[in-house]
Amino acid sequence: MNLRSYLDLYSLLQEDTSTPEERRAFGLSHVTVKDKPIEQLLAWMEEHRYQLKKPLLSEAFSSTLYSVSLTLVAIAFVLGLLSGIGLLSYNGHEPVNVIYFMSMVIFVPLFTMTLTLFSMLRANSVQSLLVHISPAFWMERLLQLLPHKTQEDLKNLKVNPLLANWIVIKRSQVIALAFSFGLLCALLGMVATKDIAFAWSTTLHVTPEGFHSFLSTLAFPWRDFFPWAVPSVELIEQSQYFRLGDKLSEEMVSNASKLGEWWKFLAFATLFYAIILRFLLYLLSSVGLKRAIRRSFLSLEGAKKLLSDMNEPIISTHAKQNEAVFRQTESLYSNVADSLDASYDLVLGWAIPKEQLTVISESMKVIAPRHYEVGGANTLEEDNEVIHLSHGEILLFVKAWEPPTMDFIDFLEALTKYVDKIVVYPVGTMQEQYRPREKEIDVWARKLSTLNHKKVWLKR
Amino acid sequence: MKAAISTYPKFAVVGHPNKGKSSIVASLAQDDTVQISDTPGTTTKKRSFPFKVDGKILYELFDTPGFQRARKVLAWLEQHDVSANKKHEVVQQFINQHKNDPQFNDEIELLEPIMEGAGIIYVVDGSRPYGEEYEAEMEILRWTGQPSMALINHIDETDYSEEWKRALGHYFRMVRTYNPMSANIKDHISILESMAQLKEEWISPVKASIKLFENYQERMLQKSSEVIAKLVYVSVSVVEKLPIPSDEASDEEKKKIEDNYKNRLRRLEEDTQKKIEDIWNHEHLRKQQPLLPFKGMDLFSEESASIFGLTRKELLVTAATSGAITGAGIDLLFAGHTLLLGAAAGAVVGTVGAYFGFNELSEVKILGKTLGKHYLQMGPMENRNFPYILLGRAIWHTVQVAKRSHAKRGVVNLAMDSSFKERWLDESLRKSLENYHKKFRSGKELEAEVLNEYGKLIQKILEGLIGNEGSLKQLPDTH
Ligand SMILES: Nc1nc2c(ncn2[C@@H]2O[C@H](COP(=O)(O)OP(=O)(O)OP(=O)(O)O)[C@@H](O)[C@H]2O)c(=O)[nH]1
Ligand SMILES: [Mg+2]
Repeated sequence: MNLRSYLDLYSLLQEDTSTPEERRAFGLSHVTVKDKPIEQLLAWMEEHRYQLKKPLLSEAFSSTLYSVSLTLVAIAFVLGLLSGIGLLSYNGHEPVNVIYFMSMVIFVPLFTMTLTLFSMLRANSVQSLLVHISPAFWMERLLQLLPHKTQEDLKNLKVNPLLANWIVIKRSQVIALAFSFGLLCALLGMVATKDIAFAWSTTLHVTPEGFHSFLSTLAFPWRDFFPWAVPSVELIEQSQYFRLGDKLSEEMVSNASKLGEWWKFLAFATLFYAIILRFLLYLLSSVGLKRAIRRSFLSLEGAKKLLSDMNEPIISTHAKQNEAVFRQTESLYSNVADSLDASYDLVLGWAIPKEQLTVISESMKVIAPRHYEVGGANTLEEDNEVIHLSHGEILLFVKAWEPPTMDFIDFLEALTKYVDKIVVYPVGTMQEQYRPREKEIDVWARKLSTLNHKKVWLKR
Repeated sequence: MKAAISTYPKFAVVGHPNKGKSSIVASLAQDDTVQISDTPGTTTKKRSFPFKVDGKILYELFDTPGFQRARKVLAWLEQHDVSANKKHEVVQQFINQHKNDPQFNDEIELLEPIMEGAGIIYVVDGSRPYGEEYEAEMEILRWTGQPSMALINHIDETDYSEEWKRALGHYFRMVRTYNPMSANIKDHISILESMAQLKEEWISPVKASIKLFENYQERMLQKSSEVIAKLVYVSVSVVEKLPIPSDEASDEEKKKIEDNYKNRLRRLEEDTQKKIEDIWNHEHLRKQQPLLPFKGMDLFSEESASIFGLTRKELLVTAATSGAITGAGIDLLFAGHTLLLGAAAGAVVGTVGAYFGFNELSEVKILGKTLGKHYLQMGPMENRNFPYILLGRAIWHTVQVAKRSHAKRGVVNLAMDSSFKERWLDESLRKSLENYHKKFRSGKELEAEVLNEYGKLIQKILEGLIGNEGSLKQLPDTH
């Protein structure tokens, strides 16, 4: 897992067209990474990477990052070299004060490394001020003000802030390393090519003994192994330099060859403070970046959705195919009877028991010699018998709320062969005083229009 | 016959025409495409509604046409009378012999799934009186020998369920009531539990399905809250820009960006509503609702003027840019990461926008002159009430969609109940929400975790309103 895989996943998620089914199938088939979200994302990316359009965004990004870094490293190295040379140059009047160089290779690094440690701790907050004051951040900013081609895609790339902070932190370490190397090279180069008279000087009241113990404290990492790389009290005494007074300059001149010994201490100080410690910090920032990448994986746009698609069962409850849209026929039945006659040859009730049928007839003030129930619990034979003895004009009560079935239509059709007129009268429930609802009559009208028989009338 | 394949439970919803069979299926299968109408004979073919988990069917529901010639079928069966253990074979014979007889199309469609092993769910309308004409149907179902239960639906207010229960009791071991139009998740699950009881070997697969179904509902809530959280965040933080040729904005340009901004917000809301409807399987919802309002956003009267009054809450600012601020030139790594520089500029613009009118912003315009292009910018949303209005509407919409029966086919009017605000928002909730809204407004990049927490908060609100004890009623359709 690295920045590249992060970016590949980023672009994959942006272009992805996989269906939830495919994602779920992936989740189910990759059992070894189950319950390990990051591994799942990585596995998914490996399997889909081929879909990415070339050139890869990650490659473009890495190569840009690489070339920017390289430029910065080169610049830092040159800066280190130049400042080293500057610090070590003998201007002809005064010897080279080791304090300057020491601060450059010991105190400045210690200070910036402390800042770096702080910014590492704070890197998780979205905007770390400490990151913004990093030289890498600003150098990069300046570099990019120079005109150059950037890929369109890179323009819109949104790197997780946490990740961006760690990238800056890590690269600041590399740049600082390059700078320190510059200093070290300058030191070695100057020592090799010139005869430098080192001295130390301070306005503060520091005795050579005091200074010595301070220096040997600073030299604690190497003093036991390389005692010659710690200046002796003698050397310190000999190289103390006061701006005013010539007594010591004589002594210095006589010991000129010894004064060069300082370089060993300076070289070790550079190596340890500016390079080794910085390198450790670099390793630390690499670990930090790794962890940031890990965390950023999950906050990538679309990653959460991908994971939930992979890990949650797809539940579907609906029908396989859509149903043909039902179209209601608008035809209204034209054979409508507005009122009832006073008497009929026969009153029938479709699924209406006989006692109830007579009550209905009475309430409608209809007289008929006979009442029969048809349909309902009757057998087909019983219905047939009724059909056979029917004649003339028939009043046929039906329950308005019950939908007319084909059973009813069959009966009606058979009946038309024996009679002259059938008035179908949908009635409501007893509780509704047999009054039907408009909507219910419409249903009957529509059904009767499928039969469309001139003998059949609808009372509404 | 390969009987081994279909070991999962099947259920056929059958009954008289127009008694709500399709409505019950639509509700149980959460399918809003089922054809439902008050004309009998709407359903003409059997239709399968599998409950699938990762492609595997756990149980299957069938919607069927209603009985049309029950007496004729029964007469045929009775002519071939045999001992009870052979009766189902006679039914099969009937199907085989009448396969191509259009007369019995509906009966065959409904009998087929039963003969293939489906349990019977016999639907009647308990709001209309019982009649003897139902007996033929129930008798036929008895001939199939399949386990069965009866469901009493109430299409109307009237109640005849007592007489229905007495009659159904003779034919069915189990008689339950279920209203597809008003059933909630609890009713839904309770019916599934009854269905599981039809056959011993169905108990565990149906129980497993119930568990999955509950998770599914839970996830719908979760997804909805995520979508709503994102809506509020994006709407509050979105920035609309309009490039302008000079450093002076004309009235049309100001109007234009204002319109663009409003439309953008409305579109965001619209898209979110669509997503929510999809989550709840209401892809075909037809609705009416008032547009997102931008006037009189005085929900809490703290800022009583409307946001678009051009003074304090005027968010119209002129800002300036060049490649130096936004292009890739400035920063590869930090695009999308508020830059120190960007943040500082944002802060200046923000404070100016909040405390001064439009004219006072000329300072920024001068900055623009030196840097390059000019544009008008609107957003992030400064009005404090806006997120509550948006959130309230989104919650209301989600609750209505979540509660809506999949059997309804009308147009729903989503105009918000005026008392709704008090039902979801109290002072302490407002305080916790405000913390998030403040972050959204800040214009800074938001940590994923913050949005997550906000979503969780919304999920709690939704759970309170939608869950079993959820107090809100579903809205009636308008016609
Ligand atoms: N108010 C209300 N109406 C219902 C209910 N159940 C069904 N309906 C209405 O009753 C009518 C018939 O419903 P469907 O589900 O189409 O009935 P069906 O049994 O499938 O009808 P067919 O397919 O024609 O046999 C529709 O207009 C539904 O809206 C209910 O519980 N309450
Ligand atoms: Mg139907």
